[in-house]
Amino acid sequence: MTMTTALPIAMIPGDSVIHRINPIAKLVWVVGYIVLAFSTQNIFILASMAVFAFLLGIVAGVLKPLLKAMIILVPIGSSLLALQIIAPAVERPWTLAGSIGPLSLYGDGLYYGFVLLGRVVASLIIALVMVMTTHPSDLFTSLAKLKMPYTLNFMLAMTLQLIPVFQREFGVIMSAQKSRGMKGTGFSAVLPSFVPVFVGAIERVQQLSISLESRGFGSDGHKTSYRQVRVRVRDWIIGGLGAVLIVGLSVYSIIRGTWSLSGEIVFSGAFVTTLFAIAALTFFGFIAFTIIYGFTRK
Amino acid sequence: MAEDTTGPAIRVEGARFVYPTGNVVALDGVDLTIDHGEIVGIIGQNGSGKTTLTKLFNGLLKPTAGRVVVDGIETAGRSVQEMAPHVGYVFQNPNHQLFARTVADELQFGPRNIGVPEEEIEERVANAVEFFGLQDYVEEHPYRVSFPIRKLVGIASIVTMRPPILVLDEPSTGQDHQTTHIINDLMRRLREEGTTVVCVSHDMPLLADVVERVVVMRNTRIIADASPREVFADESLMLQTNLQAPQITEIALETVVPLGGPVALTPHELADDIATRAGGSRPARRSASTRKGA
Amino acid sequence: MTDPIIRFDNVTYHYPGTEEPALRDIDLEIMPGEYVAILGLNGAGKTTLGLCVNGVVPTMLGGTLEGSVTVGGLDVGEYPVREMAKIVGMVFDNPEFQMSQLSAAEEVALGLENAGIAYEDMVRIIPETLELVGLKGFEERSPLGLSGGQQQRLAIAAVLAMKPQILIMDEPTSNLDPIGKQEVFSIAGKLNKEAGMTVVVIEHEVEVMAKFADRVIVIDHGRIVMNGAPEEILSRVKELGALGLRAPEAAVLADDLRARGLWTGPTPTTTAPAVEQVRTMIGAARG
Repeated sequence: MTMTTALPIAMIPGDSVIHRINPIAKLVWVVGYIVLAFSTQNIFILASMAVFAFLLGIVAGVLKPLLKAMIILVPIGSSLLALQIIAPAVERPWTLAGSIGPLSLYGDGLYYGFVLLGRVVASLIIALVMVMTTHPSDLFTSLAKLKMPYTLNFMLAMTLQLIPVFQREFGVIMSAQKSRGMKGTGFSAVLPSFVPVFVGAIERVQQLSISLESRGFGSDGHKTSYRQVRVRVRDWIIGGLGAVLIVGLSVYSIIRGTWSLSGEIVFSGAFVTTLFAIAALTFFGFIAFTIIYGFTRK
Repeated sequence: MAEDTTGPAIRVEGARFVYPTGNVVALDGVDLTIDHGEIVGIIGQNGSGKTTLTKLFNGLLKPTAGRVVVDGIETAGRSVQEMAPHVGYVFQNPNHQLFARTVADELQFGPRNIGVPEEEIEERVANAVEFFGLQDYVEEHPYRVSFPIRKLVGIASIVTMRPPILVLDEPSTGQDHQTTHIINDLMRRLREEGTTVVCVSHDMPLLADVVERVVVMRNTRIIADASPREVFADESLMLQTNLQAPQITEIALETVVPLGGPVALTPHELADDIATRAGGSRPARRSASTRKGA
Repeated sequence: MTDPIIRFDNVTYHYPGTEEPALRDIDLEIMPGEYVAILGLNGAGKTTLGLCVNGVVPTMLGGTLEGSVTVGGLDVGEYPVREMAKIVGMVFDNPEFQMSQLSAAEEVALGLENAGIAYEDMVRIIPETLELVGLKGFEERSPLGLSGGQQQRLAIAAVLAMKPQILIMDEPTSNLDPIGKQEVFSIAGKLNKEAGMTVVVIEHEVEVMAKFADRVIVIDHGRIVMNGAPEEILSRVKELGALGLRAPEAAVLADDLRARGLWTGPTPTTTAPAVEQVRTMIGAARG
């Protein structure tokens, strides 16, 4: 019985408008999102970007897996906010907003924390939506059309595929060692398992290269492609619109000095303190939960 | 959780198993009791749940529902390491199992883990080396020897732990007749020593030769549990499980069986019966099985 | 008279850095449309022989090859494996190690893409081939998520789609249940009969060989020691035994009865003739 191991983040098959957009057009949006997110400090822009990406996710019908994957944001987000409040990554002077015991809490930190969080959230959601609505092969085929070398493309695709394989192999090997009464925990116990994983990987690559070559891989002649990725007018418009909008906003943000609103927005002391408490508790709670869950599952 | 050694070697009650990834149901309502000293074959088509079932025996998998008691110990809440002295498990692919620097180290690893005294380890290893014919490979790296030899090393590395219960997952896959013969001998010897053996295999001739009982699985359930003769004689059972009786059994079924003859499992057995029918009761020249030809 | 499609001319081969040759003085001719089975102990040289046909030996694995291997009129050592791929299709024993794509359809497409087959033809060939191996409807499934048996059939489909003149299968059924095994050999048999594909199979199970092959070649220590029709080769119970191999059970039965002076006539290797003769024997005794 072969166990099916799926990547935690994989394509969710569907036929939504978003699914049907050309991968390259989507890629333009993802890259654009990241560029804009990191060139502005305007939390309204960042928030609208995140909301828009989220709406795209809903349109694509990937809301559930999207939310599941976004759990990763809980520890990142809470630690980011908590840390920024006590030690802002902006130049002094900082405005003191309150204190808990020996800790001084700063309002500017909170604003910058929101900026960082907004960047991460917006970029992550759009990237997830892209990954969940694009068949990897379509992406690779499109990249190949853009003259990305075939072998490089192939290597990318292979790596993507081998990660779950090696995860599974490692699991099987660990259980084989345990079946032989392997004692101990930690690195020294895991170490012997690397030998078979490594040997297995080499054998696999060797065999695969023979198999691929036997199917004409690497021949110089004219190649065709089974996956047909169409580029329609719609895709040009979407891609172009994304590029124009995002480049425009980025340039404007940069001209306005990252368009930061930290001067205009002042948080009340109580707000900063409460938020800090919530963030810190969430962070430690999450860590504690993970540890306990990890131990009991064994 | 008291250890009850008077009970059967393996008892599976209403076991269900669902793989967490993808919610694949691999076992559903499986009941099975195997007594100490039994040699049992588990057969069934690809994906019927055979390997999943055997992984319940040493706690590699815990039933999603139902219970599994092995050597008097309920596996729930026990680690695989705790079960190791009770159940030996030989994986189908030796590459998943071997990692030591030499074949000798490999054979010592298991018994050392479960606290066998050094002198005894030495004796067990020497024994195994002789039995499996590994004399030439003792100081070799396990990955430097050919795959069939590696497979024997994989089996030997568990046998040296002398577990009261031994699970073999497809021991003869990819093996030629010579190495299959060694596995065959191993099962016979283990039977004499009173070890309980569970062997998952597609190799019907191998099973026909040594096992006393065959458990047939289909689509997550046990659908038959009988002697090899009964199982191989049941043509509809063979057909719906994608299995095929050994050639000799098929010949017997179409010739002597309708006349009240035996559901033969070896050519020698069938030859004996035919001889009685065709030429009076001519005695067999050799009593040992000649089916393996060697 | 037609020329052989595969021809080994006095071939001796050493893997890099080895003293013992893996193949010794191999002279072999295989005609187009033959279904040949290769039998031998592990390590006898069966796989090496197969790898010579598409040039993996020696082009990819190195070593020294004396003599010559000619396939489809081409001297194998002079062409890269990817060129030989147009003539020879190879299926190996571990199917998982042959999977490289994200879906079954693309796995089958890989060879076609490399051969430059037009998209319009691919959309026809791929479903056809998947159906042939019983994987219809699996087009979008991930190859690594398939069961061992399904993977093995996919590996075969990936090669068959390229419509090679020669199909070589190295223990292609080691993960399959008995009926799954039969299916693989009948697919090869069908292509052999209907499309005239030359098939070379490396296999341990003699009963299956006896049923499907036109010719059996036995290899021992790198040498061809027997070469002939299955009923001729596989009936030699004692000789096979001496080589550490076994004969089909039908042959062993006949051999046993012959020793008792009860079996006359040829030794059967498949079920049907054995059944027939046994019926006559016991029927005659009763009547």
